[in-house]
Amino acid sequence: MTLDPIALALVQNRLDHISRQMGWVMTRTARSPIFNQSHDFSCFLTDAHGTLISQADGIPIHTGGGGFAVRALLKAWAGQINPDDAFVLNDPYEAGGNHLPDWVIARPVFVDGTLAAFACNRAHQSDIGGGAAGTYNAEATEIYHEGIRLPALKLVDRGTLRHDLWALLKLNSRTPELLDGDVRAMLGSTQIGAERLKALLEDYGLAQGLALIDGVLAHADRSFRAALARLPHGVWRAEEKTDNDCFEIRDIWIRVALELNADGLTVDFTGTDPQILGFKNSSIANTWSAVYMSLASFFEPDLPRNEGTFRCVRIVAPQGTIVNARPPAPMTMCTVFVAHEIVHVIWRALGLADPARACAGWGKSIHNGSAGRIGTDRPFVAYHWHCMAAGGAVDGRDGFNQIGHLIALGGLTIPNVEGYEQTYPLRILKHEFRCDGGGPGKYRGGTGVDYLVDVLEPAEYSFRGEGLNYETGFGVQGGRAGQGGAMRLVLADGTIVDPPKYQVRRFDQPLRERALSPGGGGWGSPLERDPHAVLRDVRDGVVSLQAAGDVYGVVLSDDSRAVDEAATRARRTTLAR
Amino acid sequence: MSGEQVVTLRAPWRVGVDVGGTFTDLVVQDVDGRMAVAKVPSVPADPSRGVLDAVTAAASQVGLTVADFLRGCAGFVHGSTVATNTILEGKGARVGLLTTEGFRDSLEIRRGLRENTWDHRTPFPPVLVPRYLRLPVRGRIAADGSEIAPVEIADVHAALDVFRSEGVDSVAICLINSFANPAHEQAVAQAVRAADNAWPVSVSSDVISVVGEYERVSTTVVNAYVAPRVVPYLRALDTTLRDLGLPHGVLLVQSNGGIASVRQLESRPVNLALSGPAGGVGALAVFGRAAGTDDLLSMEIGGTSCDVMLMNNGRVATTDQLMVGGYHLSTPAVDIHTVGAGGGTIAGVDAGGMLFVGPKGAGARPGPACYGFGNTQPTVTDALLALGRLRAGAYAGGAVSLKSELAEAALTGAVGGKLALSAEQSAVGIIRLLEQNLLNAVERISIERGIDPRKFALVAAGGAGPMHGAAVGRMLGCRRVYVPRVAGAFCALGMLHTDVRQDWVRVFAGDLDGVAPEALARPFDEMAAEARRVLRAEGFAPERQMIVRVLDLRYPGQQSSLQVDVDGAFDPAAARHGFEAQHQRLFGHIQPGGRIAIVGLRVAGIGKVDVFDPQAPAPGGQGVPAAIASRRAYVDEPHGWMTVNVYRGADLRPGHRLSGPLIVEEATTTVFVGARDVLGVDTAGNFDIALLP
Repeated sequence: MTLDPIALALVQNRLDHISRQMGWVMTRTARSPIFNQSHDFSCFLTDAHGTLISQADGIPIHTGGGGFAVRALLKAWAGQINPDDAFVLNDPYEAGGNHLPDWVIARPVFVDGTLAAFACNRAHQSDIGGGAAGTYNAEATEIYHEGIRLPALKLVDRGTLRHDLWALLKLNSRTPELLDGDVRAMLGSTQIGAERLKALLEDYGLAQGLALIDGVLAHADRSFRAALARLPHGVWRAEEKTDNDCFEIRDIWIRVALELNADGLTVDFTGTDPQILGFKNSSIANTWSAVYMSLASFFEPDLPRNEGTFRCVRIVAPQGTIVNARPPAPMTMCTVFVAHEIVHVIWRALGLADPARACAGWGKSIHNGSAGRIGTDRPFVAYHWHCMAAGGAVDGRDGFNQIGHLIALGGLTIPNVEGYEQTYPLRILKHEFRCDGGGPGKYRGGTGVDYLVDVLEPAEYSFRGEGLNYETGFGVQGGRAGQGGAMRLVLADGTIVDPPKYQVRRFDQPLRERALSPGGGGWGSPLERDPHAVLRDVRDGVVSLQAAGDVYGVVLSDDSRAVDEAATRARRTTLAR
Repeated sequence: MSGEQVVTLRAPWRVGVDVGGTFTDLVVQDVDGRMAVAKVPSVPADPSRGVLDAVTAAASQVGLTVADFLRGCAGFVHGSTVATNTILEGKGARVGLLTTEGFRDSLEIRRGLRENTWDHRTPFPPVLVPRYLRLPVRGRIAADGSEIAPVEIADVHAALDVFRSEGVDSVAICLINSFANPAHEQAVAQAVRAADNAWPVSVSSDVISVVGEYERVSTTVVNAYVAPRVVPYLRALDTTLRDLGLPHGVLLVQSNGGIASVRQLESRPVNLALSGPAGGVGALAVFGRAAGTDDLLSMEIGGTSCDVMLMNNGRVATTDQLMVGGYHLSTPAVDIHTVGAGGGTIAGVDAGGMLFVGPKGAGARPGPACYGFGNTQPTVTDALLALGRLRAGAYAGGAVSLKSELAEAALTGAVGGKLALSAEQSAVGIIRLLEQNLLNAVERISIERGIDPRKFALVAAGGAGPMHGAAVGRMLGCRRVYVPRVAGAFCALGMLHTDVRQDWVRVFAGDLDGVAPEALARPFDEMAAEARRVLRAEGFAPERQMIVRVLDLRYPGQQSSLQVDVDGAFDPAAARHGFEAQHQRLFGHIQPGGRIAIVGLRVAGIGKVDVFDPQAPAPGGQGVPAAIASRRAYVDEPHGWMTVNVYRGADLRPGHRLSGPLIVEEATTTVFVGARDVLGVDTAGNFDIALLP
């Protein structure tokens, strides 16, 4: 059947509009700031087989992973899916979840009595029980320590909410009111999505509508193949490490071989280290999403992000490794770490295949949380977002000096200091760029920041210092790595504490915390950086005079206000030898 | 405007001038409501020339000298893009910034906010003040406004030495927690003003006293950046027009939809960021009255973009967060959602073989392919020409001539050839996809506010809006589409109906139920006194002054506030009711009896201007006017191509009713009425299109 190209364009546009609309409804109706400030959710549509057909909006680390959830519920509920049902699930081992805090609501769409599609969302809940408040239990060694596990459950049965199940879900959360509000927002959003998707299919008739959706997937397939066609055929290998398993300092490696041939792209993680004790193990859905996100972000920003795009991508992730752990390994942290390492390793390999588009590494975050009470009653939980890390450079752009997580491609809003001081017993004294923190390069990595804060009340500190004490933002194409992170606490009585990577510790007195957040990697040789850009960096105080001469080979005039062109040429010639 | 009759005005009259990217529009309306419209090309290098050209054109149209035209003018309201263009073109001042020690980089960190996260390769727009001109001042105010460390004025003097040697020509000051206590900022400002340079000084606690150092510093810096360019320009324009005879001086439309004198804007030129489009607020008020409804959605489509606004219960939605050229501004502004969909929007086929329309446009030059200025990519205007919706030949008052063969060649070359479609089929696809994008934009602004658009009337304006209004309204589920007779001068017309307005904002911390009424009364009264002082200085007698007091309320922990008016004496129960009703509508739930925090107080000082309602044109009498032509045009998918009557706008009078499909050619726009639509002309002379099921 040949498809009407106009109808095809209209259908693609409408599908993406529907998934965006679902996001607006979520943002508008949810209760917790996780939804409406951090946007830690995604809305997506799948066909009747669980193939993702649209995910126009949502956090990048959810890219293309929703199909696992729908396929799991199709398997669990074969023959028992009815109009006006809605399902909830979260389990990464049993139900296609990515990690336990992200719950999926999936709503079937029936047209003419036939199951035709699903409207779904996946969103981070504020609390789901487990060993630590707020879903992240750094001391977990089994998934049972991380909160309630949900297989694919029928939450709404032919339009009727199952109150027994609803009560069970709320009973397992420390914040039942937020959970109640947020899951209702998810149900409302999928309801709108399901209605709109049904109307779309009815407008064209079921058979033609489904054919057009297949056409949308085929277009995505062609688009991604066109992007890949610019790369030579071949095999590229890369590796990336984390320096800890959450309990001890030891190197753990993620290894990948990318093979591109006429059939498509194979992403093979064979050789990756075994799963670890701590909660950074990745689920299969999360690993797939991390791979898809790395690929999509490497090419044009407007590539479709439905499953058609990745039809020519084959992923091999051996079971029992950190990228595809066996139960009951804990995995709540995996959507940040090891997702960050997976994106890095894929970017490293892609950078070998297509150097011009190579992306330098982003610094890994180090920010901790402080939780306690203001006075005798008011509890607070403050995350030190002001020491977020820096981004890496690409050809034509320096790294962002401070930016949100790589796995969100920076999509996090760093709070204002003033708003924070109104809310929390903190006094922030410094929030400024580091000098020489950014990886040198033709395009310089982001600097990271120098953060100084007084925590005015005793508090419990949850440390998640992945990027502490080693370089995490790698350089590419001759660019160098950004500097590692550092953190030190000085208690009111003068005691100095060098914090652990992952742990929860309580200090019964106010303290001063200083953090240097990790820098991003540079792109290209620092000897090729525009000397006037180096001059500006020196004047701005983000590159030292010494580094300008020693690393960038740029010599400035005596007053440091101009480039000494002749001396710079000579210096660069010497350094290049 | 050849062929138009000369309109004879009776003094006094009001004038609205809107400078757009392509055209400068002028609308004049006299005390009896008679109206004339002039449209002249804009002069981007010197926008004031476009203004003067428009004045000259309008004067000659009403048979007056420029001097007499200006002398009879009771109000001259101007929407100026000079501030916006200064930002977009990066042609502002060299700014020096004074900040609290330890916080030099808030401006450049930008809270990590990326407009499109997936597009991570695109750099941020250049920071407006380089780090070496962002200099620290020691001293610290705490979150509660108390002083932790005194301000070190010696640091200011050291910084000013640097500013002098670096050629700084405008100074911005933004210190941490100044919203809670501006004493340090004011002391720094005093030291700067006392220095020998004649720097304009922008102080954050004066420009916009909000919590949040990033938005405040960004707004203050943009203010400092535009001030040395905008203020002299406005003063010169004001002087020129006064010298030519204008009795009262120029009034400017601000982002908040209200107007202000040049003098009022000298300290806050950043408030001009949305000066042009915000004129639409006045237009919505006029059309709401004319159409007898308080619920309007508007879609103003020009050459490159579509601006969508929403008026619910007579109120136009506002926001405190604006983005201009990638720079954040936290100033009260009309909430306008803009998408890249206009007459010049480019269509094509992507690498995977999919048709797309926009968001890129062909601009005024070279413009659509059919203009013959060298563009070969098809645009929306080319598609409309190929479909017979537009007529080949003279267009836009004769400024260009549309050539069908160029449109068809572009359509075939860039779309049809790649998708095995004819030029006409390609054109159909482009228009349908464009109209779906317009639908998405209108749905967004309503759905995000929890509003069902079906009960709204859709106002289709701008030169290109009336071509798509009926189709988009039908898809939206609306029953009515309202097309102003002067659709092409929508904002200029709105400017005639806009009150003088200035906003004041203060941060406040308190509980709605626990706050002592006098604790609220003092800051409210102070702001109100300042508002009255400004209004008096602008010549508004007390009976023409209106003071609106507003509370910013939220549940503790929420990140954004809702605004609730305080009518008369402060009544916590009434405020709670107002808050809960809004919260329920926007967010679908409330916390019954929950604690509500007051986080800010606002006062708006409004000076009521004399507005002249448009004169009702003479009724059309019996029967229907004759069509001036008919031509083959594509109507819609079910009806395909039909012979469509074309009417001259001037022939359509109040009381006339005509069934579609039909085309109306007006001076500033072309209206397309679909096959199932009925065009009526209301008593105000505007087009009211009923969309029948």
